Amino acid sequence: MNYTFQYGVVWRDFDVLIDGALLTFQLGVMSFWGGALIGLFCAAVKTYGQRVFGILVDFYVVFITNTPALIQIYFLYFGLPEIGIRWSGELCVVIGLTLNAGAYLTLIMRAGFLSVRRTELEAAETIGMSRLQQIRFVIVPHIAKTIYPALANFFIVILVMGTSIGAIIGVDELTGQAINLSTVNYRWLEYFTIAALMYVVLTFIASIGLALLGRWAFRVKAKVF
Amino acid sequence: MPHLAVEDLRASYGALEVLRGISFSVEKGELVALVGPSGSGKSTVLRVLMALNPPSSGRVQIDDISIDYGKSGSVRAARDRMAVVFQQYNLFQNMNVMDNVTLAPRKIKKWPVAEVEENARALLAKVGLTDKHDAYPDELSGGQQQRVAIARALALKPEILLLDEVTSALDPELVNEVLDTIGELAADGMTMILVSHEMGFVREVASRVIMMDAGEIIETGTPAELFDAPKSQRAKQFFSKVLRH
Repeated sequence: MNYTFQYGVVWRDFDVLIDGALLTFQLGVMSFWGGALIGLFCAAVKTYGQRVFGILVDFYVVFITNTPALIQIYFLYFGLPEIGIRWSGELCVVIGLTLNAGAYLTLIMRAGFLSVRRTELEAAETIGMSRLQQIRFVIVPHIAKTIYPALANFFIVILVMGTSIGAIIGVDELTGQAINLSTVNYRWLEYFTIAALMYVVLTFIASIGLALLGRWAFRVKAKVF
Repeated sequence: MPHLAVEDLRASYGALEVLRGISFSVEKGELVALVGPSGSGKSTVLRVLMALNPPSSGRVQIDDISIDYGKSGSVRAARDRMAVVFQQYNLFQNMNVMDNVTLAPRKIKKWPVAEVEENARALLAKVGLTDKHDAYPDELSGGQQQRVAIARALALKPEILLLDEVTSALDPELVNEVLDTIGELAADGMTMILVSHEMGFVREVASRVIMMDAGEIIETGTPAELFDAPKSQRAKQFFSKVLRH
């Protein structure tokens, strides 16, 4: 092998990669919370709403989960301008991933809705809680606790990594920055090994943060390491 | 006027009619016990009163308020005046004892927090759980959980407390701590309807006993009247079986 690794250039541009990592994290957090709200709403509709609306939710979930996120974001970025809507790459990534996450989180949260003990809801009903209050005080805490590991995994696997799709439409998140920098001096391997390590660090920080949050807020017995 | 009057109450699960015209009344400060074999509809009476199951017909009146179970405002009025304790405690698993007791008064009734917490502390002291404020349901024994459930029901300051087989899910040695609590409430003059299989306890604390079978009331009377000298054949049969020990 006659390739000589030169990490000096990467260190010179390290702050640019850090900027990319921060953007990755921001995109991931925004999409996850947006998706969580959509998921909660759709799961509630499927559980308590009229059948028609439940079917609409099914259409949304099936459509999204059966098409690649890349294509969904392509439609937002290249398709919408055809009808006069022009969004920035960042916005397309956030909206695309939010819609994508929303569909998967609908399925995850639906499981949470169905696993609440009916008796606990009856108790809530008899002490005068409305449906919305039951969701807020009983169901959401229950979901947060019981499906916390699934939610935390989803955040890490899909969203921290899903954001890398942004690179293809010119969003300067971590992968995007690695591409930008390496096209200047062709040090692909150096930039991408460092970017990969940064993803590892990012997900590591996120998983520790989520485990601590879960322990503190929901009494989840989550492993920190 | 009776505190609670139930007249010709009927209810069905699908095609099965489980309440076939139930009429009884409860005076203020009375402890009325519903007894009878499994499936006789005792628990359903409580569930219908709390609007967990819809009645198909009949009248329920609390003081001078007639309850229409088809109207949400009326259901709210019923739930304002009555509270229920379930066989399986049904505590909120994700909340500690204090939050279980104070949630509804704080968030639903919007009563002042300081007052609610003071009342909750007093109630938890009354049921003997002063040292368990921060415990979660899964850290408590069945008897302790059931006493939390009683405190949670009382925190809403109900006029009538409904107790649905509250000791049936408990280990035998934990039954008495819950019965003692109920006995104290009875001594305080709390109006209660008790569904129970604890005949010894019923005899001791009930002002009146209603025996049900197959969705109907078979016989009503004081514990002594019913247990010692039941008039109907069905009641004789039932009590001869359950009072043998």
